[in-house]
Amino acid sequence: MANQEIRNLVIITTVIFLIAPAFILVYMFIYNRRKKRHIEEKEMMKLTFDSELIKSQLEVQEQTMQTIGADLHDNIGQLLSLTSLTLNSIELDNQSKARQKIDAAIDLTVRSIKEMRLLGKLLQGDQLMVLGLTEAIRYEVNFMERTGHFEISYTIEGEPPANNNPDKDLIVFRILQEILNNIIKHAIATEININLEYLSDQLKLEVSDNGIGFNADDLPAQQSGMGLHNIRKRAGIIGGEVSINSAPGGGTQIIITIPYP
Amino acid sequence: MLHYLTINTTVEITCLLAAFFCLKKDASLVWRSMILFLFITCVAEMTGIYVKRLYLADRVHIHPNAWVYNILLFFQAGFFSLMFLYLLKKFTNSKPIIIIGLALLTGLHIYKIFVNGIYIYDDLTNTLMSVLLIFYSFYFYYSLINDETYISLKNSPAFWWVSGVLFFYFGSTVCNIFYEKFAPLVINPKQGFNYFKYLFYAFNILLYSCWTYSLICRKWLTKR
Repeated sequence: MANQEIRNLVIITTVIFLIAPAFILVYMFIYNRRKKRHIEEKEMMKLTFDSELIKSQLEVQEQTMQTIGADLHDNIGQLLSLTSLTLNSIELDNQSKARQKIDAAIDLTVRSIKEMRLLGKLLQGDQLMVLGLTEAIRYEVNFMERTGHFEISYTIEGEPPANNNPDKDLIVFRILQEILNNIIKHAIATEININLEYLSDQLKLEVSDNGIGFNADDLPAQQSGMGLHNIRKRAGIIGGEVSINSAPGGGTQIIITIPYP
Repeated sequence: MLHYLTINTTVEITCLLAAFFCLKKDASLVWRSMILFLFITCVAEMTGIYVKRLYLADRVHIHPNAWVYNILLFFQAGFFSLMFLYLLKKFTNSKPIIIIGLALLTGLHIYKIFVNGIYIYDDLTNTLMSVLLIFYSFYFYYSLINDETYISLKNSPAFWWVSGVLFFYFGSTVCNIFYEKFAPLVINPKQGFNYFKYLFYAFNILLYSCWTYSLICRKWLTKR
């Protein structure tokens, strides 16, 4: 082999052997940039999740305050007005009638106290979630039932896992409040069925009503806005899926499935 | 005096000076040990040139300078093992691999010196060390990729230090092998094999440039 040939062979092979680590270096830089982007995206997602969580907390509190306001006005306010009226109408000369009215006033006062106690529990706002998702929903259902406009059935299937996820609980609870608000505002329903199902690694919430229903595809953008959009967005944040089945006149069924815990 | 200032010694001394200024107050003893290693390397290079000059003047009584580089090989194996042990420690327990590698290198080198004598350069240990260092470098990159934390590679001293090692040993291994195989085939090696010298210069420049930059990054990183 001539010197010239050997030289060419050596130089070419050396260049190839230098290209290999250079290529690895370039790959490392590209991969590292991707890693940075991935970390940034993860941080952004976490920030979004945290902000949604805070938003949900605030909304649950706001909803609670609204419930309390309505209850004070419609229920306790009425009871106390009635008590006042009853006490005012007492004729001290007529002992037997006065006795009856005083008993009625006592009864109304006791009922007011009971209502106040219930409101007190609600006023503790966040404590609602401390009770756990199943109990928080039960409270919500109780308050809705007391309006007398709806017949509500609430069922729980499966056992909540010991290591529950309070963040997901809060968001699911807020989604349920959003659904119930929609039913109150738009559905003109009389019956509501709520089913909460704990599967092995999933949580399934099913809410159906016998209201007027709607055609989800035909909803204008603004109308589908807050309610359904929020439900989908929040479920998406916790990795969940939302399925909405509805037809005009046929009621509405909303199923939310999320990975749990 | 100018005989001692070759391209190799110039880049090595430059790197030694950079190491001294950048690492003298470094918190890590391992990084600081690089000053000592570079100093030993420079001394070995100078001694190598000195012995070579003596040998060229009196080929009968003086041996070639291979024995200087045979001794340097012990320091190289020790320092590289220590450095990789330190760099890989962040990701995994690399102690067993590095210790086995070092034991292999030391064992083989002692054996070769015992068999061939110290005056013949131990190419085999050098090649084995190159292979091991390439493997360690790849392992370091692999660990870096799999690590969840992000670091800026542009300013990472560890990354540039390993890159220098990878470039040098990946490139020089093939050159060494070719040189060993083709040298006996050429009638006038001095005339025909000059380009090997330039290739080795290029590898040295590449290695010490990466290391100098890594030292600057190290200084910059610890200064912040």
